[in-house]
Amino acid sequence: MMRWLAFLRPKALRPQTLRWRLALGLALGVLVLGLLVRLAAGRVVAEEMDEVFDSALEQISGRILALVVVELALDGAAASQAQSQLAPQEAYLIYAVRGPDGRILRHTPNADLAPFAQGPVAGFRNDGGYRIYSPGAQPGRYTIEVAEPLDKRREAVEESTRVILASVLLLFPFSVVAMLWFVARALRPVDRLRAEVTARDGHDLRPVTETGLPQELAVIAAEVNQLLARVTRTLEAERAFTTNSAHELRTPIAAALAQTQRLLAEVPPGPLADRAGRVEEALHRLARLSEKLMQLARAEGAGVLMAKAQDMRPVVLAVAEDFRRGGLGARLSVRVPDSGADSRMDPDACAILLRNLIENAARHGAAGQPVVVTLAENGAFWVVNDGPVLPPEVLARLHHRFERGAGTGTGAGAGGGDGAGLGLAIADTIARAAGGELRLHSPARGHLSGFEAEFLPAGCK
Amino acid sequence: MRILLVEDDPGLGAAVRDHMRASGHLADWLTTLADAWAAAGTVGYDLILLDLALPDGAGLGFLARLRGAGQTVPVIILTARDQITDRIAGLNAGADDYLVKPFDLAELGARIGAVSRRHGGNAGPRTVIGGLTVDMAARRITGAQGDIALTQREWVIFEAFLNRPGQVIPKSTLEDQLYSFDAEVESNTIEVYVSRLRKKLGPGVIETQRGLGYRLSAP
Repeated sequence: MMRWLAFLRPKALRPQTLRWRLALGLALGVLVLGLLVRLAAGRVVAEEMDEVFDSALEQISGRILALVVVELALDGAAASQAQSQLAPQEAYLIYAVRGPDGRILRHTPNADLAPFAQGPVAGFRNDGGYRIYSPGAQPGRYTIEVAEPLDKRREAVEESTRVILASVLLLFPFSVVAMLWFVARALRPVDRLRAEVTARDGHDLRPVTETGLPQELAVIAAEVNQLLARVTRTLEAERAFTTNSAHELRTPIAAALAQTQRLLAEVPPGPLADRAGRVEEALHRLARLSEKLMQLARAEGAGVLMAKAQDMRPVVLAVAEDFRRGGLGARLSVRVPDSGADSRMDPDACAILLRNLIENAARHGAAGQPVVVTLAENGAFWVVNDGPVLPPEVLARLHHRFERGAGTGTGAGAGGGDGAGLGLAIADTIARAAGGELRLHSPARGHLSGFEAEFLPAGCK
Repeated sequence: MRILLVEDDPGLGAAVRDHMRASGHLADWLTTLADAWAAAGTVGYDLILLDLALPDGAGLGFLARLRGAGQTVPVIILTARDQITDRIAGLNAGADDYLVKPFDLAELGARIGAVSRRHGGNAGPRTVIGGLTVDMAARRITGAQGDIALTQREWVIFEAFLNRPGQVIPKSTLEDQLYSFDAEVESNTIEVYVSRLRKKLGPGVIETQRGLGYRLSAP
């Protein structure tokens, strides 16, 4: 039952939300307060009505006494007329007039005189379901007692109380709606702040907006921004460390490789040259592996999204030019849009991603066949190379680290043997860190063979 | 070619210098930007290999200063910084190529050849001068009678002409090309080598511009 009710309720109004708690609390508070105020008001109204009724009873008793005294004085037809005029109008009242000796001389015709059995007592009193008034007995004078049924008064009070309560209950739904509207409006800055904070992650650490927030929230936003600044500084330090480590590692490897190559060039063929050759091979492997591990550290450790989008064409063209000069030459062709290709990806992260895709295509694609890089206007890009079709199970494993496939050695992603097995894993890590996706296709889309690695940035998936 | 190598790592600097010399180039190896600036201002280098992180400053500043002074000498950046933003910044600052450490010495040689040819206005490795076909990458000259062999110093002088097609080259610039061989350059050394080149390549290949220097005849 409760689950069914929860299903009916909008998510924003579930009890766990601040909005729901505030609206419910305020509405119930207003209801209880309204009822208390109305009850107090009813009490006051009842007392006021009592006073009015008592005053009327007192005045009527005076008039009746005067009429009875006249009647007793005239003791004739005029008096009977006066009594007959009195009786129908005041039928719900009963009275009794006593003479100086205490005897009842006149009373309401056909009335039960039980309320007057006690005799005249000055003032008001309740007795036997009646409100009774008498100015009190005075020696040598006529005395009157007037009684009014209390039912009449209760009926009047109850009727006014019902009207008051009905108005409270009738207004309650409207007040709930008004509360919800007010709470929603008042909590709008909270929603805005929540949306901004939710949008932040390890790759988007821009400060949240502090302007326009209520004082209480501005303090929270300022604290969040301080935290974001600390995280940013930490990530920047980590990034600087990675970059510096890369620098510190690359130079000695470069020196060792260059010295080994000089040694190879200077020694005559023989065991020493063979040994130097093996050292050179090991240094090449070390260089490749350290390069990939540094790229992976970079992809996992630092922000790969920028605050502002920028054109990725220079990045793609620079990477491609690097590969062309590095030996790929005319085998590599690049297609970029004329109108620009804006993306929020960090250019260096984008370059690492693309470099790994091109390296993969060049290393594992069919020898001598073209490698085609295409950049789209939305910042997506894909790298296509020729080669045999890869089985789906091999394709699915290529995202994994140190996974080189189990192919023929000529197909894309197949085990060429000289790769570190990290290229596509690095590309995949960067793609995911950027909120995008790396999709692998074999055969390449629109082809019967080959391999295609497609990067889709955030929002293009 | 006479090459200025600016690299502060002793192991890498020595290996690159030795490789340049073994490849027939004249390499001056310096480890600070201050020394490099002084050398670049006095010697007419054909190419500069520039590290970016040096003890007395950033290589990019040196490059910008060089270009600001109107020097068009080709520059190849050798650096451990692999980020694309560094690479784009280097190329925008006026570098002709960018090689990330570690690199193969053979690749460095190929890049030097390619940059040098582009700078000379001839992107391809082959140049035709009169009846001669010159393969700069292979250092082979083929004439009507077949291949023509040059000594290392003769090639250095001839390469200086190839890298400055149509330009009049002062004698002092050609002398600079030979200084790094650690041999004394006599006052008539250049005349001797030009004479030898004319004998091997043909009398019309190198013209003498009296009082100015020498010029390679139009290919």
